[in-house]
Formats: sequence, C-alpha cells, structure tokens
Amino acid sequence: MQTEIRDRPSFANIRVRLEPGDEIVAEADAMASMSSSIEMKTQWSGGFVNGVLKRLFGGESMFVNTFSTQTGGEIVLTQPFPGDIQCLELNGNSMFLQPGAFIACEPGVKLGLGWAGWKMFVAREGLFRLKVSGKGRVWFGAYGGIFQREIDSEYIVDSGHLVAYEPTVGVQIALAGGIFSSFFSGEGFVTRVNGPGRIYMQSRSFDGLAAWTNAHLY
Amino acid sequence: MDQTFLGGVFSETLEGGRAGADVELLPAGIGARTPDGETFVIPYRDCQVEMGGYNGRMVFCRNADRSLTIFCDAPKFPKALSLAAAGTLDDQLAIGHKKRRGESRRAFLFGTICLTAILLFIVAGYFGIRFGARSAVLALPVSIDAQIGDAAMESMDLGGPKVRDDVVVGAMQSIVDRIAPAAAVEGIDFRVHVVESAQINAFALPGGNMVVYTGLIQNASSPEQIAGVLSHEMAHATLRHGIQRIGQSLGIWAGISLLVGDVSGLTGAAVDLMQVASVNSYSRTHENEADAEGVRMLHAAEIDPSAMADFFEHLEEEEGDVPGIFAWISTHPDHASRIASVRAQLAGLPPVQYRPIDIDWGEVRKRIDKNIDTSIDNSDVPEKN
Repeated sequence: MQTEIRDRPSFANIRVRLEPGDEIVAEADAMASMSSSIEMKTQWSGGFVNGVLKRLFGGESMFVNTFSTQTGGEIVLTQPFPGDIQCLELNGNSMFLQPGAFIACEPGVKLGLGWAGWKMFVAREGLFRLKVSGKGRVWFGAYGGIFQREIDSEYIVDSGHLVAYEPTVGVQIALAGGIFSSFFSGEGFVTRVNGPGRIYMQSRSFDGLAAWTNAHLY
Repeated sequence: MDQTFLGGVFSETLEGGRAGADVELLPAGIGARTPDGETFVIPYRDCQVEMGGYNGRMVFCRNADRSLTIFCDAPKFPKALSLAAAGTLDDQLAIGHKKRRGESRRAFLFGTICLTAILLFIVAGYFGIRFGARSAVLALPVSIDAQIGDAAMESMDLGGPKVRDDVVVGAMQSIVDRIAPAAAVEGIDFRVHVVESAQINAFALPGGNMVVYTGLIQNASSPEQIAGVLSHEMAHATLRHGIQRIGQSLGIWAGISLLVGDVSGLTGAAVDLMQVASVNSYSRTHENEADAEGVRMLHAAEIDPSAMADFFEHLEEEEGDVPGIFAWISTHPDHASRIASVRAQLAGLPPVQYRPIDIDWGEVRKRIDKNIDTSIDNSDVPEKN
C-alpha cells in the first residue's frame, strides 16, 4: 500500500494506492473519491457500544469504513476542515488524539476511547480522547498546519492547540500568567505538558475560528 | 518473578525513537521486548525511576546516560518493580509517589479555587444585575424612556384599529391629565391612544405613551374605575419599570457575553428585548409598587381610589364567564391579595374631599357602543398631541 499526503498544508488529502489484498480503515465520510474496483464495508467503530460512545464523546462517527480491493485501485481520503494531515507509524506504542482528529488507519491499529478528565475539558480538548494503539500507520488531521515537538521537560501549549500526544506525556492545566494577565491577555488557560514524549500541535484553533466568526456575524 | 506488563520504550536506536513493548522484570534488570523482537535491559542498580505521564502513574525507568527509557503504567508495576529490585529502588519510587501526591493535591486545590471563583462570579453577577440595573437605569435621564417608548409604539402591533373619536380619546386624555400632576417624576408627557378591541386591557410604555382598549371602557361602570387602571399603568411609567426590565434583561445578556467573551450579539439582542420587555408583564414587585403608587396619585389628584379596588373585584367576578379577553387581569396575577392590599392602603389615607371626574361618561359609553364602526381610523401612525 502506497500513500501520499497531497496539497499540504492547507487542504491536505491522502491518496492511497491499494494493492490486491490491502485494506485501509477510514472515518465515515472521509472518502472523497475512489476507483470502482474498491469495495467498501461499513462497521461499527470498535463495536456497537464503542461506536456510540465515540460518536457521543469522541467527536468521531459511529461507523468506520473499511476499503479493500481484489484487483488494486486508488482512493482519496480527506477531512472536513482546512488543514494539514499527519501520518504516524505505530510500533506497539499508543497515541492520544483530540476528538475529531482521526481520519484513517491500517487494519492493525486499534481505536479506543479513553476518559480524558475534567482538566482536559477545561483545556477545551474534550472530556474523552481517542487512543490509537497497535501496529501500523495512522493518519490524523488538524485545523491549520501541524507541527510536532519532542519534549523532555516542561512545555506550554495554548488550550485548543494540542492535537495529539503520547501517553507518556503529562498534561496539566494552568493559568497563562497571573490572574490579571491570564484573563486580559486573551490566553486564559494553557496546557502545561511534561515529557518525555512527543506532542503534535495545530497552528490554528477551532475556538479561535468560532470567536472570530461570531464577532463578524452582526 | 517473570511478570510481563504492557509498556513501551524510548531509544534512539529504534526507528522513530519509540516502540510499544512487553516490559519484564528479569533477574538482571528491567527488560523490554518490542513487537519487532528487539530487546532492551536496564540493570536495577543503574536504574533511575521517575513518575509522570498522562495519568501521573506512569513509571519511567532510565539508564545512567538517559539514552534508554522503559516505561509502564500498569497499576501493579511499581510494587512488582520494588520487589524485583529487592528494595533498592524504593527510595526513588517513594519520591515519585510523594511528588505525585503533591501534584494531585495542588491540582485539587487549583480546581477548587477555580470552581469557587466561578460560583462567586455567577452569584455576584446575579445580584449585581438585579440591584445594579435598577440604580443604573434610574440614573438615566427620563428622555431616554420617551425615545424607547416611541420606538416601541411605532413598531408594535396594537391588536386593533385606533379610535379617532375626539369625545372618547379626549375623555381618556382628560382623566390622565388630571392624574398627571401627581406623578412622582417630572418630564413624562402622557399621551393616550384608544384602540378598538374586546380586550379588557390598558398599558403604558416607557416615556408616557398609553394604550386603552375599548373593552376596558365598556366593562368599567364609572370613569373613576378607568382612572384606577390608568393610574396603575401611569405608575409603571413614572416608576420606570419597563426600562428597569430592559436594563435587567440586557444586564443578563451582558453578563453572559462577558463570560463567553463575545459582545457583538448584544446590539441585536437589545432590539429584540426592548419590544418584548416593554409590553410583557411586569414582576410581582413592580405590580405591587404600581398599585401603591397609583393609589397615591389618585388620592393626590382627589379622585376616589376605592374605584380601583372596585374594578378589580368586578373583573374577578366576570373573569369566570369569559376568560381570555381579560388580558389585564391575566398579566396581573393574584388579584385577591392585590384588592386586599389596595383596601388596606385606602384605610390609611388621610381624608380628602374627592371630586368627580368631569367627563360626559354616558356619551363616551354611547359612542363606544354604537358609533365605533364609523369613527375608527385604520392608520397605524401614532398620533401626537
């Protein structure tokens, strides 16, 4: 299976070349176009209960589609918002994704839903988070560009910008500065992450977009 | 003691620098085997233990030059590690535990403080709006009331055509003009509009625009009873209840916007609220205040205030027969207690020689009953006089 992420970073999409016998699992509605030789099978995302939970709390759909082919073909997968897409190679390790970030994975990858906690809710990252683990490649998307950072000590990310992080990374919510500067600098709460581990961040935040849109409605 | 736990390993020798691994506690040290079959071992004596990770319970075991890290967050791992290392790592594990407890205590404290601050902010905001709006609104000049009231009057659906009959409108205006000098606030120009509708209703907009429905005139048995209702409605205007309601509602919106952090929707909300709030029912406190102020004004204008209570009683009796059209009653609930409190107030008033209202009541009733169809005007433009 050959893959290529095209039109980066603004309107990234994944072109997948499936050889006979290859499979790729994609978020429902992620398919933009495909060869007629490709078959699609729809399944509950990790079983019925897990699927419903993912829909309700994980920002993902209840179903995932598995694309396969007997003769080979091409499929283009995409995400609903403008932004970059990142490919991640899992080798038995896991990664947490923010709700809605997941796009596609290879069949060896397990999709799970984990309780993220109230502190992540305060940090505008959602009460639940998707956990991808196993062996294989995972594609996830973000709003704006994606940049990664290997952290070993403490690092600060504004709330809403953290897209993915490894379970080895500790996440704490803190005020950006003092009480006054936190609320009047526009930064409010920030996320303090502690290494070791890798984090992925997005260069725009949905909250920022929502506030900007709101301000221009009237 | 060869237990296996699910964990992972960080090493520069691995592709991508990391891999998931089965973590084993071997006699020689902590071992990790990746899915690709690569193995790593850190001897217990070289091991540096730290705790952290997303849940604070992950144990990191690092070698002396920190080039290799084996990690595991299985709940039983710390105890098994302590046993396998024959107690040599207990100090480091204890420090890790202590640090974690300290951190969770700090997090709890931080959360509690934030929650308390938010609750205090909400409570303070609520009372600030309730009491702050009143004084803030009362500090505004009365001319604002007139501007808002005129705007509302022009855009409002009055529920029927306006009556242009000079005798009818003139009679209502003269009742209002007689009460007006007793108003607590100067500068309100009371203008009466009579609207043809079966509703037994009357209302005053901020700034002095008043609407009287013909249903009210038909159901009153004396001009004093009309004066009773009108004085109550005038009291809403002089006590500036309408504008206080707008202030309160806007205050709540402003509070919400402050919390949400976006104030751009405020203008749109204000326009909507103005129309709703200026016509809709007032709060119980405002009603009682308007009753008392109405009685005071009637008394000062030497009009018999007992007619107000009489009219309430009359409406209460009739209400059972034809509900629905008694709009004035329906927006003014619990009239039994209102009648009682008006009567109680009457008993405490100093004696005054009441003068009758100088209008041709018979003629007004006759014109309302008979000539109404020929004397109406469908123009929606409010008259200015």
